[in-house]
Amino acid sequence: MKLLFQKLAAPLLFIALMTTVAQAQESRIQTTTLDHLAAKASQSVDVNMDERLITIAAKLFSDKGDEKKIKELLIGIKGIYVKHFEFENDGQYTAADVETIRTQLRSPSWSRLAGFTSKADGNLEVYLMMTGDKVGGLAVLATDDRELTVVNIVGAVDLEKLAQLEGQFGVPELGIEPGKAKPKNEQ
Amino acid sequence: MNTTRIAALSLTLLLAAGVAQATGDDFNSVVKLIEQFYGVKHQGITFLANAGMKVATTAAKIKGGTAKRIAEAGSIKLAIFEDQAFDREFTQFRTSLNSALNSTWTPLIQTLSATDEEQVYIFLRESGKKFQVLVITIDRRDATVVQATLSPENLALLLKDPEGTGKSITEEATIIDQE
Repeated sequence: MKLLFQKLAAPLLFIALMTTVAQAQESRIQTTTLDHLAAKASQSVDVNMDERLITIAAKLFSDKGDEKKIKELLIGIKGIYVKHFEFENDGQYTAADVETIRTQLRSPSWSRLAGFTSKADGNLEVYLMMTGDKVGGLAVLATDDRELTVVNIVGAVDLEKLAQLEGQFGVPELGIEPGKAKPKNEQ
Repeated sequence: MNTTRIAALSLTLLLAAGVAQATGDDFNSVVKLIEQFYGVKHQGITFLANAGMKVATTAAKIKGGTAKRIAEAGSIKLAIFEDQAFDREFTQFRTSLNSALNSTWTPLIQTLSATDEEQVYIFLRESGKKFQVLVITIDRRDATVVQATLSPENLALLLKDPEGTGKSITEEATIIDQE
């Protein structure tokens, strides 16, 4: 029995690791389809923070005051990825551009959350990926006539504290007001 | 050999060592890429062997009078391009830059502003227990390339405010160079 366990341990561990990696990859949405908009934008921002960098940052913040809040927020996050475009005129990006993002968020693993609004003008969509009973990732799609923002957080993020990330770690100010968010398909 | 000769020889060796360390890596590749893409010439690569950089982490801390050393002393490489035309389409440059660095550096943040005609690129890579940061700033007439080594503590500051800290690194390196 012990021998059998020893034989199975390594493959099981490998499968568990691969599952974790696969889940992390699933909650990473692809935004390279938007890269061409940088040529039309008056301002564009592209942020990539992977798990290694987030882990380092989380360890280094102290357990006091604001740093404690940031530290708590970062625990469980495996990546923060942002694409933000500002345009001088209307109509610089198309519905097809936005659709390349929404298509990924329509997969069964993602649910759109109701209850999130923005203090800013425009439309704010917040999507959540659940892996079992845990949050596996989050995506924010903010659009208005002259702005397009995609924020993708890979890993477990506390929805109540989502707004705290604004203005930090490259996440732009989106004016997120959480409200009582819950998946739309549960309403 | 008198004291003056010894001092001159020591200075020559020190400068040669600095130049040797400033060549043969991605820093130089980026400088060359800027030169080739924009048809410009840098004013000189400086290896700030003894300089530490003081970078105030936030406006509040500047007002409070506290400044933190963000770059390890002796780790800073700096190339400056002054009063030249950087007027080619910048998304092409971004593609070339990312292709040149993607095997060894991780792009942390890249901002392009057509309105201000400014580009800021911040790349990171591990260097033992520390991290190296490469900050490339290009505007209408000037450009700066700075490479520095960061402790993990200062990396956290950079991650919290990548754009602000990246600009501070460039500004402080430039100020030291002019002193």
